Amino acid sequence: MGRYLLRRLGFALLLVFVVSSSALLLTQLAPGDVTTELATTMSPEDRARMRAELGLDRPLAVQYFAWLGGLARFDFGSSLLYSRPVSSLIGERALNTAVLATAALLLATLIGLPLGVYSGSQPRGMGPAAVRVFSVIGLSVPPLVGSLALVLIAARTGWFPVGGMTSATGVELSWAGWIADIASHMPVPVLALALPLAASLERLQSQAIAAARREPFVAASRARGLSAAGALVRHAWPVSLRPVLGLYGVMIGSLFSGSFVVEVVTSWPGLGRLMYDALKARDLYLVAGCAASGAFFLAAGAWIADILLAIADPRTRTGEAS
Amino acid sequence: VNRQPRLLLSVLLLAIVGYAGYHWWTGLRETPDEGTRVVIGEVNTRGGTLTSTLRSEPRSFNRMTHPQAATDIYATLTQGKLVRVNRATQEAEPSLAERWTVSADGTMYTLTLREGVAWSDGVPFTSADVVFSFEAVYHPKSGSQTGSALLINGAPLKVSAPDARTVVVQYPAAFGPGVKLLDNLILVPKHKLQAALDAGTFVQAWAAGAPLADLIAIGPFMLTAYEPGQRLVFARNPRYWKKDNTGQPLPYLDRLILEVVPDQNAELVRLQSGQIDMAQQQVRAEDIATLRPLVDQGKLQMLEVGVGTDPDVFFINLKASKWAKDPRGAWITRKEFRQAISHAVDREAFANTVFLGAGVPIWGPVTPGNANWFSPNVPRYPFSIERARALLTGLGLVNRDADEWLEDEQGTEVRFSVLTYKGNTSLERGAAVLRDDLRPLGIALDVSVIEQGALQTSMVKGDFDAIFFVYFASALDPAMSLDFWLSSGSANIWDITQSTPVFEWERAIDALMLKQAAAADPAERKRLFDQVQNIFAENLPALYFVAPRIYMGVNTRVGGLTPSVLRPQLLWSADHITVRAPQ
Repeated sequence: MGRYLLRRLGFALLLVFVVSSSALLLTQLAPGDVTTELATTMSPEDRARMRAELGLDRPLAVQYFAWLGGLARFDFGSSLLYSRPVSSLIGERALNTAVLATAALLLATLIGLPLGVYSGSQPRGMGPAAVRVFSVIGLSVPPLVGSLALVLIAARTGWFPVGGMTSATGVELSWAGWIADIASHMPVPVLALALPLAASLERLQSQAIAAARREPFVAASRARGLSAAGALVRHAWPVSLRPVLGLYGVMIGSLFSGSFVVEVVTSWPGLGRLMYDALKARDLYLVAGCAASGAFFLAAGAWIADILLAIADPRTRTGEAS
Repeated sequence: VNRQPRLLLSVLLLAIVGYAGYHWWTGLRETPDEGTRVVIGEVNTRGGTLTSTLRSEPRSFNRMTHPQAATDIYATLTQGKLVRVNRATQEAEPSLAERWTVSADGTMYTLTLREGVAWSDGVPFTSADVVFSFEAVYHPKSGSQTGSALLINGAPLKVSAPDARTVVVQYPAAFGPGVKLLDNLILVPKHKLQAALDAGTFVQAWAAGAPLADLIAIGPFMLTAYEPGQRLVFARNPRYWKKDNTGQPLPYLDRLILEVVPDQNAELVRLQSGQIDMAQQQVRAEDIATLRPLVDQGKLQMLEVGVGTDPDVFFINLKASKWAKDPRGAWITRKEFRQAISHAVDREAFANTVFLGAGVPIWGPVTPGNANWFSPNVPRYPFSIERARALLTGLGLVNRDADEWLEDEQGTEVRFSVLTYKGNTSLERGAAVLRDDLRPLGIALDVSVIEQGALQTSMVKGDFDAIFFVYFASALDPAMSLDFWLSSGSANIWDITQSTPVFEWERAIDALMLKQAAAADPAERKRLFDQVQNIFAENLPALYFVAPRIYMGVNTRVGGLTPSVLRPQLLWSADHITVRAPQ
């Protein structure tokens, strides 16, 4: 199992390198640069001078290898937009995104998996039908609409703050108060992220458990006298986890690299917004840093999913065909 | 038979539940009216916190090197100027310079600084800070982006300081706006930034991650907390120099919070729910109806600031090389073609469709909102398909086949594309109206809605047929916007790469604008600028259709407001703003 995980770790590092390099090169190749937005306020000479100061007049290969040299020293360069090290900007935002993503993942899991087991194990009835309807709605509503609807509900009811991560008085609070303040700001963005994911998990888990229940070994366990619930929990559910865990890798990656729409609508200061601002302004080092961060989380998510899969299904770690 | 009463009962129950639910929903968050409504201009309450928004967060706290909107607002709240142009009256008023004299030839200004003024860290403000600020703004290695706004005929101002309270500013030539030019200089503290300028790190000195202790202020507020991506919190600067008419120190507010809310819909929801006191930007036309019930309930005031001074602009690429090998070049760069487009647009309908009625027809870049410089007598192009068609026929553009589009004598279809950018609803709707208005004339307009950065790139490279966008002028005095009016200006949008006039009318405008900028007599300056506007409207290098009326949504607990059509419309005089109930 150790070799298997090491191999996956190697792939993860390669992914981070390829994605961040591609992001840098593609941003550089795209028309315009960080000085373009100043075109109507600066003379062409001043713009040329600024481009030279920022090193943007150098050939693409020179810029790329200079960036790679920095990367070898864990230096992601300096943001052209903010005149600050990329690592410090990403560090500020990654933690915020991680808080949101962890909460959303937990909530989606706690809602999606039990409901999936429930609806998959009972093909008929009002309950499973209602679950399916809610899942289809959860999957169909675009994140923008879902976020705005939740913001509107929060604003109308006053149950939760409509945006931001902390209150303006947050810095004056004690540690416990500060954590409670963050928690009070989380329902809107967490629900906006978690509900569609919970719907995805429910659908996948439901289909997987329905398929697993038809397996001969489940029938055999029932024939040995195991109750329906016992057969479901002890035999059908572990087998059904394989496709669900496969989805987890992607979910962790997408959540931890920041959801732009949810972060913008709920004013959550995360990586998604930073990446969007960087892309808009063609801040190539910041784009590459954000992309590296996103790829890292994607790879980490896939790696964690692999570990869970290896634990849940011995065939994975032995390389046996499933 | 028994089912009918049950059905009726169910419908009745549903109706009752629905009615109760509606009342619960609409009644939520309603607070009793506290009566005393503060009117604009009333300044009798001290203390409290005002919460507003920023659409994007500052990339730096150095306005010289980062003149973007968020940094500009930060500087407005915390920094100072020698002389300020009052955004409401457009008159120059004393700020950190309490008075000034001007030499007979109008080129030398001697300014006397206020006595006893200090930066927020207690260090006295002196003429050395002024001289340093000029040095930094012109320094080639400072990364300053605002130096060009302090040039006259391309030459910098010369500054000397005979003593700690006197500054002498020598203009390279007479300049019509006079001392108003100094409104473009944000003063920075020498004792904090001299070392950075010497070390070549001025651009990083007040970066967004800089320690707050370094960000000293001389304006009404000082930054006490910056939570990246979330908010900026300002507290009253206890050393602020200004007092009100009764001798009470300003600002009135204890605290001012700017929440970073990137999405305008989310900002609207926050304004509706009372979580912010005012939005930073004007209310969109489509949101006015949404806010109207709150205005009727007395929770919100909708301030009509005036007619906007930055209308959406449509222009065709006039760069000669763009059309050199394109058969459309024979007619698309002709002024008659642009005049035909102007005739084809029904401006009243445009105002109703794009701005839902909250707009006024205009015929040039200067709108009625700029009362000092607006000329009502420029050539106009009333809506007339017949006159538009006659102009096009004169260019040889007629329908030569069975389709609905015109063709030139070579058979080239009269078709071109217009770029506009995403996220600005008035631009997107306006471009669609233009397309629909030109269609009956036989002109095919292909609208491309693209990302703002991509549009700017196309404009810089001259790689476009036409563009429909909004250009924000920083000043209302035309001599302070020479970048737009001169053919060599960086905002010569129809050919941004141009360094000398190409057309005869450009040459005429250049000459008149240079004369206008140098003239001292206001009446003469107005007369010359009226001529410029006439030439502009005759040749239409850029077409303007409607200027929106600007509305600001403000909670009724806020007072002491002096709205301006220029950005930031309300926070430019933040030191006089009050809130009714201290939080």
